[in-house]
Amino acid sequence: MKTIKLASVLAFLLPLFFPGMAFAQTDPGVRSNTGVNAGQPFASVTASPNDLAFFQTGLAQFNEHQTVTGDNPGLGPRFNLDSCGACHSQPAPGGTSPAAAIFPNVGANPQSQVIANGVVNGSTNTIPYFVLANGPVREARFPFFFDQFGNANPNAPNGGVEDLFTVSGRSDAGSCSLPQPSFNAARAANNIIFRIPTPTFGTGLMANIDDATLLANHASQANNNLGISGTFNHNGNDGTISRFGWKAQNKSLMIFAGEAYNVEMGISNELFTQDRPLPGEDQLGSGLPATCLNLAGIGYPEDITHSGGTSASTVTSDVGLFNTFMEFLDQPTPSTSSPGGATSIANGRKLFSAIGCATCHTPSLATQPSNLTAGLSKAAANLFSDIEIHHMGATLADNVSQGGAGGDQFRTAPLWGLGQRIFFLHDGRCSNLLCAIEAHDSNGGEASTVEAIFDQNLSPSQQQDILNFLRSL
Amino acid sequence: MSKNFSRLLQLFGLFILLLARAQGALQSGGDFSTNTDRKKLPSGTIFVKGAWSSASDSVTALPEGGRVVKNVYQNSYFGLTYPLYPDWMEHYTGPPPSDSGYYVLAQIRPAKTFKGPGRGSVLIAAQDLFFALTPHTNALELINYSKDRLAADYRVEQLPTLVRIADHSFVRFDYGSPAAELHWHVLATQIRCHIIQFVFISRDTKLLESLVEGMNKMNLPDEAGPISGRGGGDTPECIKDYANGENVMERVDPVFAEPRFNPVPVRVIIDKEGQVKHIHFLSAFPDQAKAITDALFQWRFRPYLRDGKPVEVETGIMFGRAPRPATISSTNAATE
Repeated sequence: MKTIKLASVLAFLLPLFFPGMAFAQTDPGVRSNTGVNAGQPFASVTASPNDLAFFQTGLAQFNEHQTVTGDNPGLGPRFNLDSCGACHSQPAPGGTSPAAAIFPNVGANPQSQVIANGVVNGSTNTIPYFVLANGPVREARFPFFFDQFGNANPNAPNGGVEDLFTVSGRSDAGSCSLPQPSFNAARAANNIIFRIPTPTFGTGLMANIDDATLLANHASQANNNLGISGTFNHNGNDGTISRFGWKAQNKSLMIFAGEAYNVEMGISNELFTQDRPLPGEDQLGSGLPATCLNLAGIGYPEDITHSGGTSASTVTSDVGLFNTFMEFLDQPTPSTSSPGGATSIANGRKLFSAIGCATCHTPSLATQPSNLTAGLSKAAANLFSDIEIHHMGATLADNVSQGGAGGDQFRTAPLWGLGQRIFFLHDGRCSNLLCAIEAHDSNGGEASTVEAIFDQNLSPSQQQDILNFLRSL
Repeated sequence: MSKNFSRLLQLFGLFILLLARAQGALQSGGDFSTNTDRKKLPSGTIFVKGAWSSASDSVTALPEGGRVVKNVYQNSYFGLTYPLYPDWMEHYTGPPPSDSGYYVLAQIRPAKTFKGPGRGSVLIAAQDLFFALTPHTNALELINYSKDRLAADYRVEQLPTLVRIADHSFVRFDYGSPAAELHWHVLATQIRCHIIQFVFISRDTKLLESLVEGMNKMNLPDEAGPISGRGGGDTPECIKDYANGENVMERVDPVFAEPRFNPVPVRVIIDKEGQVKHIHFLSAFPDQAKAITDALFQWRFRPYLRDGKPVEVETGIMFGRAPRPATISSTNAATE
């Protein structure tokens, strides 16, 4: 009798003292007990010596650090970092923002180390306030141009990338002298938004889903009784569905690679042939100063196809190699047992679908036949995305329009590999899955009803099952 | 002389001022300003809207124009009022209408003060029958279609059945998720060629039944019904594809400034003389809306006659790229 009484008292008191321990669901965090589960080429690529050589050369090029002049020329005059692989590194090359203290401990935010590593000159560049050693890699955009009084003008949309750093003061940059954009002033005007790198694992599969499959999936999700109805972004040239980038603004991996090489690293190429001024410099009609043009001394474009190459991989341009590397990257491998055990993950998968998350985060789409490699052909792309753009409402709106996507529309973020990502949402504002889920509930957003079901109608153990499932991906 | 000169100067100054205003505020780029003493843009505001809903006038009621006022959802376009369950509220408004004609009219949830035993959600939605991705022609067909294609995650709890709510006929369909222990009660009717759906979601079936019971306090127009609801009376009669063939006597194609590939669903009200009276863009970029408005106001239609007399008619026209429709078939269908 006494034992029963004591147990009752403890059952009452324990939740009071340890409320977090009693029932609360938690994000299990980055999955670290299954090894790195992404970054490998398709088995069909590994089986083909030529394809594997292409992949390996692409990987090396992806990780190569560029300089203004020298063997890997073309960096700048403005850039966000000097290598694809530095930003796309979690949990393996091709991924997203890394961290030093989180598995697999790739390293500190590389943008925070650019002065220490000699990538930029510390007397001419400062590290912007939003770049932190343990924070995400970020690019910055000013949604609106400023007027002559320095106020953001909502009637003058900008939205272009404001590169963080300049080559000014580097020993290989000659007399080029450029200021950094005024990030502090933009912050004061509440006129700055951020983007983090999208992981590229499995993107060859995404590129190989035909439009008919996407349209059929779109129609099959109509009448969902959840308030959801998305649309597609389209390529302005041929009208087909575009699919890469946070707003699905890029049609192909080749365009994505060419644009990133130009915008993020300042390297002109066969797709984007000029050095790029900032949107403000462009608007003023001044462009880049002459002292900052052709800094590599090799003319334009700085990255080209090499007619003197001796093999496919040495003929191909850097952009072509990035493209091939990404095309050949297999999708991440989910775990069936970690975290939380197989039963919890299986329950979480069912719940994820039952409460409507899978209406947008489509678990799997089939690819069309591929002319590249067998791994891409008629395969199941387990991407957890419909590749549609959806209104996410005021909480997530960044007021940047890209193609057909407006200020609050975003592509359904593919969730494959989520278990080993550190930062979530387009700007990396969350490093906890519960934070990311909560942000789906927003004024004007399509996902509010589904988020409310998760938040209010599931038990803590059901919520935990969903979190475990997401971290198993 | 000097007075005249002074007046001339004043006029010149006024001219310059007007010219500057006409050109809008000068833009300096501002990427390099060191002025941190700036006006802050408000957070949580969607300034850049992309393809959005708009209309040719601000007087005519729109489907998305409903609001919760004093705990009652009111929608002038549909002639609908729905008193909210006590201590429930609209926490967030829904997204704009989609380019397939889907509207989130209201999302209702318990307020923090709600003391009831269960939690749940009420979603009031509308699907424009002119632009639906699925090939139903009325509310009854839509519900039967949904039942036939219910995902494997769910099981049917009550087949589509006709019920009376607030003295009007609705079709009711209940289904649930065994995994989530959640239930959906869907009640649908049709008004002005839109399927109006009340979707109740909860684990608590008693709460759901009370929410359904609460629908009896609604006011609906006479036309509401699962296969009726085609306007008329005080509202225009709605007819799909009226803007086709011999009904269109004069047609001017819109001239677009740049090619886009989004669907642009447009509802128009045609007056008794066959002229366009009102244009509602469910989803269009501003430049598309302007080009289409300029064109549509030049169209001339054969007046629609009911009982030999001309009446206003409402129809839909899809500009841009229409999404691909699905096919229809139904088993165990409810019929009226």
